[in-house]
Amino acid sequence: MAVDLLTARLRGAVGRLLRLVLLLAAVAAASFTLMAHSPIDPVDAYVGGDIAAIGPEQRAQIAERWGLGDPPLERFGAWFGQLLQGDLGQSLTFNQPVTQVIGERFPASLALMATAWLLSGLFGFSLGVVAGVRQGRVADRAICWWAYTLASAPTFWVGLLLLYVFSVSLGWTPVCCAVPVGVLAEDVTLLDRLQHLILPALTLSIVGVAPVVLHTRHAVIHAMASDHVAFARAQGESTRGVVVHHVLRNAAAPAVLLQFAALGELFGGSVLAEQVFSYPGLGAATTAAALGQDVPLLLGIVLFTTVFVFVGNQLGDVAHARLDPRVGRRPSRGRRGRDGEPAGLPAAPEAFPPPPTGEPEPAGRGVR
Amino acid sequence: MAPHGRTARTMAVGGAMVLAVSACGGTAGGTATSESPTELRLAIGGEPDDGFDPTLGWGRYGSPLFQSTLLARDADLGIVPDLATDWSVSEDGLVWTVDVRTDARFSDGEPVTAADVAYTFTTASESGGLTDVTALAEAVAVDDDTVELRLQRPQSTFVNRLVSLGIVPEHAHGDDYARNPVGSGPFALVQWDEGQQLIVERNDDYYGDLPDFERIVFQFTGEDASMAAASAGQVDMAAVPSQLAGTEVPGMRLVPVPSVDNRGIMFPYVPDEGRTTEDGAPIGNDVTSDLAVRQAVNSAVDRELLVEGVLEGFGSPATGPVDGLPWYEPASAVGDADPARAARLLEDAGWVDGDGDGVRERDGVRAEFALLYPADDSLRQGLALAVADMLAPIGLEVSAQGESWDVIDQRLHADAVLFGWGSLDPTEMYNLYSSSRAGVEYWNPGFYADADVDANFDAALAATDQETANEHWRAAQHDGAGGGFGPSGDAAWAWLVNLEHTYLVDECLDLGAPRIEPHGHGWPITAGIAGWRWTC
Repeated sequence: MAVDLLTARLRGAVGRLLRLVLLLAAVAAASFTLMAHSPIDPVDAYVGGDIAAIGPEQRAQIAERWGLGDPPLERFGAWFGQLLQGDLGQSLTFNQPVTQVIGERFPASLALMATAWLLSGLFGFSLGVVAGVRQGRVADRAICWWAYTLASAPTFWVGLLLLYVFSVSLGWTPVCCAVPVGVLAEDVTLLDRLQHLILPALTLSIVGVAPVVLHTRHAVIHAMASDHVAFARAQGESTRGVVVHHVLRNAAAPAVLLQFAALGELFGGSVLAEQVFSYPGLGAATTAAALGQDVPLLLGIVLFTTVFVFVGNQLGDVAHARLDPRVGRRPSRGRRGRDGEPAGLPAAPEAFPPPPTGEPEPAGRGVR
Repeated sequence: MAPHGRTARTMAVGGAMVLAVSACGGTAGGTATSESPTELRLAIGGEPDDGFDPTLGWGRYGSPLFQSTLLARDADLGIVPDLATDWSVSEDGLVWTVDVRTDARFSDGEPVTAADVAYTFTTASESGGLTDVTALAEAVAVDDDTVELRLQRPQSTFVNRLVSLGIVPEHAHGDDYARNPVGSGPFALVQWDEGQQLIVERNDDYYGDLPDFERIVFQFTGEDASMAAASAGQVDMAAVPSQLAGTEVPGMRLVPVPSVDNRGIMFPYVPDEGRTTEDGAPIGNDVTSDLAVRQAVNSAVDRELLVEGVLEGFGSPATGPVDGLPWYEPASAVGDADPARAARLLEDAGWVDGDGDGVRERDGVRAEFALLYPADDSLRQGLALAVADMLAPIGLEVSAQGESWDVIDQRLHADAVLFGWGSLDPTEMYNLYSSSRAGVEYWNPGFYADADVDANFDAALAATDQETANEHWRAAQHDGAGGGFGPSGDAAWAWLVNLEHTYLVDECLDLGAPRIEPHGHGWPITAGIAGWRWTC
């Protein structure tokens, strides 16, 4: 029995790994194809405003330095061969190995995304629970209105607004960067770093809050209307007791799944947030790579992001199964859910996914 | 091609920020530094993604900070010695002999030798970066303090490489040099937080006049954050887009710096005879190929009005691609805002409005042409639309069309295009008007060709001293006998405006005499950074 379970787990793990490898290969090939067909000429992008001073001979030199002379298929092959040896190549934009570029910038992004992720999860979940419990009341309406407003506000705009209120007008937070301007690296304290992190993280989390709020609210409403809650109430349990003992766990499942599925969005949002606050993470490097047609760096970042999001989704699956025993007990459904996006949650930032459990119900129903 | 047109997004953001600033009211105001500070904080952009290696193009404008160059330009853009004590060019223009000073040391204590200079030029000529040293055949250190730079062809503009190429130490120029620069410049690197800031300190071993400030911090923020930092009193200087230049910031003054960051209309110079380029792009335009049309455009547009209306006053009328530079010929200009003269020119050339529709025609050809501009550039859009309005009254129908560069690439030999250029190197002028550059890259897209202009260009390139070269550069614009590519001659382009680059500068910070900047708003202002002073 135990051995069976072990082999089943092992098989599951191997399956997942295989899917990841296939996914990576597909993503790499697709990204490369897109880049190869991009209308932007890498040499033009590199030369930029210096076009008047760079002659044809120099352009040929640049193309040669970057190995642009070979046909695309050959370049992809060479890149892939390097990849198999663990070498992601050299970034053209940064004149540095790709692994180094990612390695130096990812920690900053990770801190930003982790903070934003936790903030939006905790904040969104709490607000959603409050709104669900107080369905139809003033608090619910206010929270829903707030969620819709946030959902339709562009990240960079929210960021600029926060920047002006908190950094310029109030002077509470710094205007830019991940460290204080003009301070040597060894003199930067953890508090400094947190102070610089707070505004970008807040910006990033605000945009992620809305879906969590609305889904949690819906799940809470659903749970509150269920038979077991009615039974608990009949036994004289208070609203607080009902929520803590019977609703939270049910409501947590979709929120957790959503949070993990939103890692891709988080990455996308971080590009904008980093841009506004001059926060030096992977997002800024992605922009530079894309604008500069830096194929090795962009492919490196794409692969890295894919792994990141894939692992996040798998974790979400596992956590979801823990929270909602029905998922684990029906293996066929569970496996279906694990293919691609877990449980069919779309990743588009604007699209509100259909509620993951129960019958469809318009999100704004309680408001009416 | 200068890539700093403001996109619609930036405009929107800018607008939002003006509102935000005024809504937020008073700010912290002024830096914390009330006495003469030892540290300067600048938000002027200009971060090089690939580091501080001159052989890859670092320092090609503005100050290279860490390295020093053989020659330098003074405030009037004249050539003065720097690391070189003397230089000469051989009679055939092929060998440049440079004497290097012997008292210069790199920041690691090693002396700067002729071998380092030779190494720098050789490396730069092979490195495939953003500095074009391909004219160099070989660089040889003849003795400890003399270098011979041997060229493949005479090129008087090679002097710009001596002005812009910072000398690197051969012994310390490895793979990590770009991030750990060692040089003989006025500053040394302390710390570079990529994407955020650069901290440099004064190099007390620098052979030249020591800068006033012990430390300079460059923060690499976008326009929005830079403006915010300036408003919050956190920086001593910020490059601001001209749309935001009207914003009052306590303790700071607005410094508009003249530039040759220009915008002008390129005309297809040859008639449409069905020719195409190798890529199949059509060549020629039957309207703009007529001298009278090009001259009429040059005379009719009101450039002062464009500066006031489109640039909000931050700019100056442009008459050529090199206004105000040592090789500029003022006589090439013609009077503008003169629709009557323009109409007469068209009339005399046979362009008349026979059918009374307000547009002239000649031999069945309507006096109309398209004026293309990159669609994401609101500045050029404003210029194009204004020019179309100015030309309608004289019977020229111009349709301003915003297009992507993809489309412009296909049409630029057959339609007029609103370009932006601006360089402190006359090579650009050569590229724009030499017949040898017709259809190459974005240079001379109109296939302009004139034997006298070409001859003057060749003479300028072959000149062995800058004065002679400049005479020929000037003659190419206007030769005094009705020739030249300028508005008084062939009027191959209709240049419209030069931008002014706007900076918010602390009231106490003296930047010295402003020098004309090339395209690129921000880093070029550092050209005189070693001489900046605090006056409070």
